[in-house]
Amino acid sequence: MHITKGERCCAILTATTLVLLSLAGCTTTVKQEAKGTFIEGDVAGGEAETLNWILAADASSFAYAGYTVESLASYDNNFNVVLRCLAKDIEVSPDGLAYTITIRDDLRWSNNSPVTAEDYVYTLKNLMFSDWLNYNYREDWMEEFGGKKVFVTPEVINQTTFTITRKTVQPEFIYTLYDLIPYPKYISVKYEGDVEKFTQAREFNELSYTGNLGPYKFKEWLKNDKFVLERNPDFFLGKDNGAPYFQQYIIKVLGTSAVMQAALEAGDITYCGIEPHNVAKFKKMDRINVYTIPTRGYNIISYNQRANGWEGLRRKEVRQAISMAVDKETIVRRIYLGFAEPAYSFIPSSSPWYTDDTVLKLGVAPLNSKQKAMEMLRSAGYEYTKNGDKNILLDKSGQPVKLLLVTTPGSDVVESMSLLIKQELSDIGIDVEVKWVQWSTLLRQYMMNKVPGSDQELRYNNGPEAVSEEPWDLSLMGHNTDPMAPSGSAVFFASDGGLNSFGFFNDEVDQLFHKIRSKDGLDKTARAGMYGQLARLISEEQPVDFLTFTRANVGFQKNVKGIEPGINMGYNSYLWRFE
Amino acid sequence: MSELKEQTRKKARLSVYFNKRLASYYWERLKKHKLAMAGLGFIGFLILLAVLGPFFTQDPTYSDFNIANMPPLGFSRQESVYDIKTDEFTTTVISGRLDHPLGTDSKGRDMLSMLISGARISLLVGLIATGIAIFIGSLIGVLSAYLGGWVDNVLMRFTDIMMTFPFFLLLVLIVFLFGPSLAIIVVVIGLTGWTGAARLIRSEALSLRTRDFITASRALGASDGRVMFNHLIPNVASLIIVMSTLSIPGVIMAEAALSFIGMGDPLSTSWGTILNAGQHTLDTAWWVAVEPGIMLFLTVLSFNFFGDGLRDAFDPRAII
Amino acid sequence: MRNYIIKRLFYSVIIAWGILTVTFILLRIGPSSPVDRYILNIAARGSDVESVRQAIEARYGLDKPLLEQYFDYMGNLLQGNWGWSFSASMPVMDLIGSHWIYSFQLILLSTIFAILLGIGLGVLSAVKQNTRFDYAASIFSFIGISIPNFWLGLMLIMAFAVNLGMFKTYYDTSYSIWSLENLRQLILPVLALGTGELAGYVRYTRSSMLDNLHKEFVTTARAKGLPERTVIGKHVFRNAMLPLVTIIMFDLGSVVFGGAYLTEIVFGIPGLGQVSFNAIFANDYAVVVAVTLISTFLVLFINLATDILYTYLDPRIRYE
Repeated sequence: MHITKGERCCAILTATTLVLLSLAGCTTTVKQEAKGTFIEGDVAGGEAETLNWILAADASSFAYAGYTVESLASYDNNFNVVLRCLAKDIEVSPDGLAYTITIRDDLRWSNNSPVTAEDYVYTLKNLMFSDWLNYNYREDWMEEFGGKKVFVTPEVINQTTFTITRKTVQPEFIYTLYDLIPYPKYISVKYEGDVEKFTQAREFNELSYTGNLGPYKFKEWLKNDKFVLERNPDFFLGKDNGAPYFQQYIIKVLGTSAVMQAALEAGDITYCGIEPHNVAKFKKMDRINVYTIPTRGYNIISYNQRANGWEGLRRKEVRQAISMAVDKETIVRRIYLGFAEPAYSFIPSSSPWYTDDTVLKLGVAPLNSKQKAMEMLRSAGYEYTKNGDKNILLDKSGQPVKLLLVTTPGSDVVESMSLLIKQELSDIGIDVEVKWVQWSTLLRQYMMNKVPGSDQELRYNNGPEAVSEEPWDLSLMGHNTDPMAPSGSAVFFASDGGLNSFGFFNDEVDQLFHKIRSKDGLDKTARAGMYGQLARLISEEQPVDFLTFTRANVGFQKNVKGIEPGINMGYNSYLWRFE
Repeated sequence: MSELKEQTRKKARLSVYFNKRLASYYWERLKKHKLAMAGLGFIGFLILLAVLGPFFTQDPTYSDFNIANMPPLGFSRQESVYDIKTDEFTTTVISGRLDHPLGTDSKGRDMLSMLISGARISLLVGLIATGIAIFIGSLIGVLSAYLGGWVDNVLMRFTDIMMTFPFFLLLVLIVFLFGPSLAIIVVVIGLTGWTGAARLIRSEALSLRTRDFITASRALGASDGRVMFNHLIPNVASLIIVMSTLSIPGVIMAEAALSFIGMGDPLSTSWGTILNAGQHTLDTAWWVAVEPGIMLFLTVLSFNFFGDGLRDAFDPRAII
Repeated sequence: MRNYIIKRLFYSVIIAWGILTVTFILLRIGPSSPVDRYILNIAARGSDVESVRQAIEARYGLDKPLLEQYFDYMGNLLQGNWGWSFSASMPVMDLIGSHWIYSFQLILLSTIFAILLGIGLGVLSAVKQNTRFDYAASIFSFIGISIPNFWLGLMLIMAFAVNLGMFKTYYDTSYSIWSLENLRQLILPVLALGTGELAGYVRYTRSSMLDNLHKEFVTTARAKGLPERTVIGKHVFRNAMLPLVTIIMFDLGSVVFGGAYLTEIVFGIPGLGQVSFNAIFANDYAVVVAVTLISTFLVLFINLATDILYTYLDPRIRYE
């Protein structure tokens, strides 16, 4: 796993934040000497796709490039905004439509020319919004206006100031802004309009333009092996304190987690993730510090509510009954060995928008009972028969209920969960067949859908009438949520959500998503209330069974100082140092 | 009258393929080969295990997470479970139990039943894929040698191409494209693994073609098919048997290697699949990686011993 | 001879072209798209997955008709342009250029290890036929060819790196290729990859030596009163080497993309094997086709070299 930079914010200041901030304040005053090589271990498969990050679709590419260029701002572990390239926080007009961004005046490209507002606006207008480049995340910068999707309007004010104007209010748009990173105009113009040349441009693939913009400079990238960065002595945040304090920063790819952890134990690498079954062992070691931190990952079973899923899944009570039968505590204890917590909606407990008291906690005692689940199914009109001492649930036509669970092979956790779910549901008389299909097959034959007989193009949500090519009932997947702007999950749970492949359509939910992302959401207390309502509604409706939010364990050699364990622990990694 | 003739002819044809006296002669020779007999013994045991094992062991896919990663009988290990609320670990010692003598994997599945299931798959893959490969190889080899000319030329160039193809790369490519199912794996191994057999059988058949008995039967007006099936093939039969036995281990290894890199059939429990999972828990649950490896090794070794013994037994020059 | 070589080279090009075409078509007709891996990422940020897929496919020209893509690719190839790897975002030749050395050193060292030790043991075995040493060597070679190299690699890591701490658990590229540390860290991979080959060479050398030991010219040499050393070293050994050359050369071809790849995975060596297999999973056809083509040429070249080498080793062989 990568140390995540750039997370989203909400200004809730707690006592602990104040303490941490004052600690960070201490470190900046003492000028430290830079020494040593920091080696981060990473399991094969997590490697970046390209350093020309504007073309990337994967998260690792942004993370890799992020070591050499800072975004406008990032977030600490409590989601407070920490200014990076910004000279002061973004100003939002009272009507929520205009954003004024002021950047620092000491940012430089590698040719020593200043990074200006023009670079930012150019990046948006000529690259991200352009037709020839096809920026993957252009929709982040679009809004619906007059029945059409249109881009927001960026405009240069002066050397260090630019504005972005929207036509509709979207309170969570500001988080997109904070993540903005510019491309150098003076290089980009050479390739403008030619996607092939742009893709293959040496400057972009070797990050040779990054000037004083990041703590490190790109040195070498050997695929499947290592990504090597060296200290950037000019880093704009290191002028006073001499940061960063490592001569080199290396991301080392290792074959398996077992190999990686042996390397950490032997002291060959400085930092890596630790598997649950090894945590106790590493915590006992004198040379290693282990931190348990929340993550943004969660697992779900989706219930196919479209016409080609079991008819029962279209009823709320049946979905609730099934969710009640799957014991989340068992998943936490036996699969994660304790390093996870039950999930009830897509808002994790680490999110500032999480409210504990309103959600319906299915799958956790007292709402975890096979007995109760069976009663619910009975009262929903389904009958049981016995085979020996085994209960068998019958569908409306008197046939035993058999559900098909589709999932992809390759992930140990997913594999374990599907086996566990199969067992849990057999206890309430439902026979689950687990079908392993490859990712591309899962997507094309099970997730994508269209209205039968129509000439629609296959998409992940073609409306309530659409069905997938192959029938399915349950599917198991891992998702990521954004704790700062959970409304992004509308892609799954809103009626028009582009990934609502399981066919959940609920007006109330749609309205809440809409409200959060409108004028009504501008007020943070009001927005928190809406999120609370949404979480309750979702936890009752159970469009999917939210299983667990995972905790990660990370191990560091003890001589690394300056770490603040937490969900965004990488935000101050440029201040980490060897003792 | 003509029916009787038909019967004798059938018998005669059969006798070309199975001659009792000759078989017992080879068997006597094979019996003297101790390692081959040991190999045969283990293969027999494996077949027995594969056929009868499922009646005595539990379902290899049945998982019980309460007994995950249980060590084999006689070993024990510690397991710590974390409590988020109290930030404390509860540590328990897990020891091997008689009902899971070889331990369990990370999903609480019984290793013994998984290994037995693996034996079934390995044997199945080994036999069927080898069957396909040897069938194609023999056909191409004999046709090529007997017909000669441009047929020979085309078939041998085709063999060259197949031989030059990076075999494992092709295997992975096709399995990746068409999905990891056992049927596809078997067919692909079979369809790509015949080149060696084709070449060897061709050269053997070539040397037979010029022998007197073939020339004689041709002179007597036997059809091409008759010459091929009644004279050529029976005479390369011993070679085919040896080739088959000796290519089974390669096929078993190919399937295991494929599963090991995560391209195995996720619906079936093969030794390679277990090994693949085992390499991730080398540091905690070593038995998951060790046990299937030992089975794989012993199986391959047995086929090698047996094949080697067979070759010697069939070779009239070999002194046993 | 010259005509023969030219003819063979011509054949090689045809074969290579055939393999290129098959690989290209296989990769491009598959149902998966390079975007599949990132679907959830793209979706989680609210983008429309289908339009992103179309955009990315258009960026790399994957949306054109298959035939057009094929001719584009062939056209570029003939101009010496191997294309752009979109999964590694660099020119295919740069990618191969920075990784080939890791595969090469592994294969070279394990082959040297296998040849030297294998031939040595084989010769000794033959000379000391039917002694305890001979039996031990024979059993060892059976074990060696039967042990799956990826499993052997895992076991070596577990024993010597994890438990005894004598080696790092992974291959460290920060050492220079020519350093002693690099040589040291290649010990386990070379053992894992070389043992199988080594075992094979022991067997072949032994039987080849034995075949020649009883030939007339050996008896003649002995009768002439030549010392046993010269008889074995000069007369028997030289003649026994002939079939061995074929086997060693053939092994070299098969080891490149079979065993070497698995060994690379187990030990985390960033060689060509890993590069090409990752490219398969990423649908990066330019890399897969290039690697296949290079390995094909390598194998063809090795075959040709073997044949030419033959004429020097055995003056009786002539090609037309």
